[in-house]
Amino acid sequence: MLCSTIEHATLSPMLADDGYLVERLRTGDDTAFEELVNHHAGPLLAVTRRILRNEEEARDAVQETFVAAFRGISAFQSESRVSTWLHRIAVNCALMKLRIRVRREADVDALLPHFRPDGHQDHSSVSWSESAEEILQREQSCALVRQCIDQLPEPYRVVLVLRDIEQLPADVVAEKLQITRDNLKVKLHRARQALRTLLDPHMRGAAL
Amino acid sequence: MSSVSCIELIAFLDAYVDDELDSETRGDFDRHLLVCPSCRAYLATYKETIDLARGAAEREEDLAHDAPPELIEAVLTSKSRRPKS
Repeated sequence: MLCSTIEHATLSPMLADDGYLVERLRTGDDTAFEELVNHHAGPLLAVTRRILRNEEEARDAVQETFVAAFRGISAFQSESRVSTWLHRIAVNCALMKLRIRVRREADVDALLPHFRPDGHQDHSSVSWSESAEEILQREQSCALVRQCIDQLPEPYRVVLVLRDIEQLPADVVAEKLQITRDNLKVKLHRARQALRTLLDPHMRGAAL
Repeated sequence: MSSVSCIELIAFLDAYVDDELDSETRGDFDRHLLVCPSCRAYLATYKETIDLARGAAEREEDLAHDAPPELIEAVLTSKSRRPKS
């Protein structure tokens, strides 16, 4: 999951010692809390932005994450990473806000592949001219991918973000979204297909 | 002749990618992919879509690593307003 990248990218040598930090947090050390916030707020904001796509709500979710973390520090399991623990809380805080917005089952059929009566694809698929690695070298292309993700109908966008980007386990996502594992699997497959359809006209020629 | 159609292959492409098919079905899928360039392209671009979604998010995170100072301030203020547990 991305938070593993976060862990390696952001933790100073001192903060890498989670046990020491947690011990200080448990004793009410204000400096430890400041260190925690300064080191983790940025990556957590990236997570809540991805889920909520609303800056104000994303910032509120980060604030609530730290409040919940501070309250729950006594329950923190020392075998976990602090960044993983905060990531989980941030996802929960973001999803609590999202539930208020997501109620309607959006239609994604127009973005799924179509087939002829004989079972063949209606329009032949063609390979893209560059690999994902090459495409991701260009910031403009990354922005385009993010725009296409944002165009997905909300329930599908959320499933794709939680499973393919945040890489949360299927059981966890199904429980958080209050859907069955089978329903989650169907939604994820449709979300990927819809995103592929949105990317396809841009990626055939590539060099965006 | 392949025993699987394009519509069947694409319907279960996620299971194929995640290696969740039994060996017989996987073999049917492999045989279809050998003779169907359109499904081969669909499979490749489906996998690339997953890589692009993940990679673009990672790039976004690299670029926006620092939280805005006002957010840091708001978090620290909200904590100081609460009684210590």
